[in-house]
Amino acid sequence: MRSKILIFVMIFSLAIFCSAFAQERILKGEISATGVAPKIEGEKAKFNEYRDIRDGVYVGVDTRYETERYYLDFKAEDIGYKTQKYGLSGGKWGSFKYNFDYDEIPHNYTYDAKSIYSGVGGANLTYPTSPPSTNISTWTTFDYSIQRTTYGGGFKLEMLKPFYFDVAFSEEKRKGVYPFAAAGGTSPGQGAIELPAPIDFTTDNLKIEAGYVKNPLSLSVGYFYSTFRNENIYLNFRNPSSPTISATTPDIFTLPPNNTDYKLEFKGAVKLPLNSKFNVNLSTGSTQSSVNLLNSYVTPTALRVVTLSDSAFDGKIDTQSYDFLLTSSPVYLLNGKAFYKYYNTNNKSDHITTTDGTATFTNHLFDYRKVKYGAELGFKLPAGFYLTPAYTHVQIKRAAREDIPQNDDDIYGIDLKWSGLEFMVAKVGYERLQRRGDFHGPDITGPTDSANIEQYQRRYDVAPKDQDTYKASVDLFPIERLSVNLGYKYKETNYKETILGFRSAKRNEFNVDADYLIGKRVRLFGFFDYEYVKLDQFQRQIPYGTTLFNPANLPTSTAYNWTVTQTENNYAYGLGTDIYILLEKLTLKLQHNNYKSDGYADYTYLLNSIPLPGGRTQDNIDIPNWGKYETRHFSAKLIYNATKFLSFSVGYVYEKFIADDAQYNGYLYYSPAAYATYLTGAYRDLSYEANIVFVTAAFRF
Amino acid sequence: MRKSLTFLVFFPILLFLWIALPPPELKGSDGIVGVEICKGCHEDHYNSYMKSIHAKKGIPNSPANKDACESCHGPGAAHVEKGGGKGVDIFIFRKRDDAKSKSAKCLACHGETRDLSFWDLAKHKAVGVSCDNCHTVHSGSRKNLKATQPDLCNNCHRSIRAQQNKQSHHPIREGKLKCTDCHDHHGGFGQHMIKADSVNELCYKCHADKRGPFMWPHPPVQENCLSCHTAHGSNILKLLVSRVPQLCQACHDWTRHPGTIVTRFETFRGASPSNRMFAHACLNCHYTIHGTNAPSTRGKYHVR
Repeated sequence: MRSKILIFVMIFSLAIFCSAFAQERILKGEISATGVAPKIEGEKAKFNEYRDIRDGVYVGVDTRYETERYYLDFKAEDIGYKTQKYGLSGGKWGSFKYNFDYDEIPHNYTYDAKSIYSGVGGANLTYPTSPPSTNISTWTTFDYSIQRTTYGGGFKLEMLKPFYFDVAFSEEKRKGVYPFAAAGGTSPGQGAIELPAPIDFTTDNLKIEAGYVKNPLSLSVGYFYSTFRNENIYLNFRNPSSPTISATTPDIFTLPPNNTDYKLEFKGAVKLPLNSKFNVNLSTGSTQSSVNLLNSYVTPTALRVVTLSDSAFDGKIDTQSYDFLLTSSPVYLLNGKAFYKYYNTNNKSDHITTTDGTATFTNHLFDYRKVKYGAELGFKLPAGFYLTPAYTHVQIKRAAREDIPQNDDDIYGIDLKWSGLEFMVAKVGYERLQRRGDFHGPDITGPTDSANIEQYQRRYDVAPKDQDTYKASVDLFPIERLSVNLGYKYKETNYKETILGFRSAKRNEFNVDADYLIGKRVRLFGFFDYEYVKLDQFQRQIPYGTTLFNPANLPTSTAYNWTVTQTENNYAYGLGTDIYILLEKLTLKLQHNNYKSDGYADYTYLLNSIPLPGGRTQDNIDIPNWGKYETRHFSAKLIYNATKFLSFSVGYVYEKFIADDAQYNGYLYYSPAAYATYLTGAYRDLSYEANIVFVTAAFRF
Repeated sequence: MRKSLTFLVFFPILLFLWIALPPPELKGSDGIVGVEICKGCHEDHYNSYMKSIHAKKGIPNSPANKDACESCHGPGAAHVEKGGGKGVDIFIFRKRDDAKSKSAKCLACHGETRDLSFWDLAKHKAVGVSCDNCHTVHSGSRKNLKATQPDLCNNCHRSIRAQQNKQSHHPIREGKLKCTDCHDHHGGFGQHMIKADSVNELCYKCHADKRGPFMWPHPPVQENCLSCHTAHGSNILKLLVSRVPQLCQACHDWTRHPGTIVTRFETFRGASPSNRMFAHACLNCHYTIHGTNAPSTRGKYHVR
């Protein structure tokens, strides 16, 4: 099928060129072949997370054919590998364009994972006897990996200027196995099972657009239609936590439903007096899904039947978006922008009431409306200064979000840029965000109702907060061929009304890079990035049936507050040089990069004089390797241009990735202590070390 | 008194207009010397120009069909008369030159195209980025870009570069995803110049499996993917903004296990390993946090 498409594309493209043969023609390009010999130790899936580097020859083709009026480009990369990519584009300048693309990309998670289940890759997972064997040497071995394949094409017609027409289609397939997980028994607090779930998704996208662009008017109408198909809506699995019935009645895990999505949009802009322009964007769309509902579920001892108000769920969310923007530069020294945006989602999905014994549940359908307006002014000042004050107000109103159904944000910003010198551009900026949100307390049925705790929670995504962001940067060009760039950013967030939840966050970022060409022989370049992140969190642990919800209560051995401060230090640097040993003949490229992150979780039990449980102290509970990762990379490449047409290169790459993560160190596939948890090894140890040698021959024409 | 008042009112207005109005063109449209004169001193630039799309005579309105070099640089007669020199009576797109003036040269031809219809809305324009920051007219490459993505964008967006280098990332540095796949660098209506009306609409273009609609949605997820995820890179698996379980606990303090403190003791190597801490932590059980159609509590608590 793929080869047929490509052949069709080639013939189609060549046919177009028949009409252009009378003109002057240019054919140029490059064909290269790279032999690669990698030696990889450790987790090859992480090394090849989005790559497919293995022993073999990688062929690339990049050709351009053009005349005075027509052109045709063809590109191919990694032919025959999981990262192969083909692109063919052509057209007549100013009249029409077309393109056909084919692209593959893997996403590898973990190789040689292990599962108690047979049937991995399909929608029915089972094992022969209960309980399943805990001897992992008897388990099924497989790879967690998804291969994404996309192909599509497009056609743009511009010859009827000022009108244009654009159509594009693409289909993306994703196939593979991905780690899902499910509670083993009845939640809360029982075992868990990691499930190798089948991924067999197909997404088709169609986009059609027609428009008109001629001063003073620009108009376009677009239609976007997308369908998503999942070949497996359910994953059936034998549940080790339901041994008495699981042999005959599998447990069922729901997977993403099929859906369709469409959007109709209008965009326009009209020039107005005083060097102004009015811009508008109006769109309406809808996302729909439909699925037959399960009327039972597996418990540890039985198949429990429930009564549903409807046997099927029809999901539908309508969306409307309206933007109005006025830009104006009435005088040379002033640029202004005023904007208004309205975005509304309307959830028209089915309300389903489930009767489960004596309990009833009705789903809450979430939707929201966002209104945003503001203005930004740019003042050109003397001596190369440019000042930009801005104000934005954002209001979000939510349905089915009882805690904080509305937020109002005021965002003030000011930026100052100075470009008064030929060799320097400097910028400073400040932004303050003030978020308000009226908290609505939960409906409480009594003093022991667990919902009492919500009075003290402010969920961080909607919690009132003050946020200050400072930034500065300097770009220096002190001498020709030398550039030095420095940047700094500091962000501080204070969740001012939060008692339980994230209370504050700080982020420091510093970046510097430089590039220097010394004469014509040596180019030096490098960068350094530093980032520090700190997140403070205050929580409360309480047992079921308590009345001690208020964090202000004195601690007891079972109801107390605790805090955690997570910090993350990230460093990255890179140094490199290009040495032009023989100008335009022989070049040596050297590069060393190092990326390091260091996470730490600092816990504190707020128990006053009550002893910490089970041998814990305030120090031995902290997690020093709360995500420690390091990547060391070194590469060397020697390029020899033998002739104008032929070049050779030889190179070596060393890459080492070290993962030290407390959540995966000492990995256990089966953990009886934790309510019989069966894992599969997903992400268990991502460390690897790779040595790669490569040789390339390239022919240019 | 009236005269004084008139003066006080009108003088500042006149002064403001004198400062604010754009400076008059120093030269008229005369003074075109022709491409051969330019070539005489600037042969390297001429040769690179000839390889570029701008030199194609088959394209209506291309510089080749107008005044060639002087289509963009302006008339060169005064420059020639003064014996040349960098920037002497000629527009040469210097770094310190006003971005608006530089972009105006390009927009004179490219302004009436669909790609640049909304350039006025672009943050790039507002912060003084001009066309020549990213493009070079003296190039034979398609779109005349000065570098390939993401390097081109990372030259200015250095903190984004730092994010992309983190261990959990989109395949940007592998060359399978470009900045312009998500961002409209020439301006659009989306926040942060994203190519969609909302963040979720943008994410759903690739992650269509998350679109739902689900019987049991997870409200923060449905409102904004960026409540839990970051787009450009993270040290935490799946591009999360904070680690699980803390990320979940920040919103879901409750009796029994949601508010329970889990520490180093609950890791695999701890004294009390717990599936509330190791591996996926909360997600070991509550996996369907993007939404589910499962019945009863299995759906409500996102465990199936």
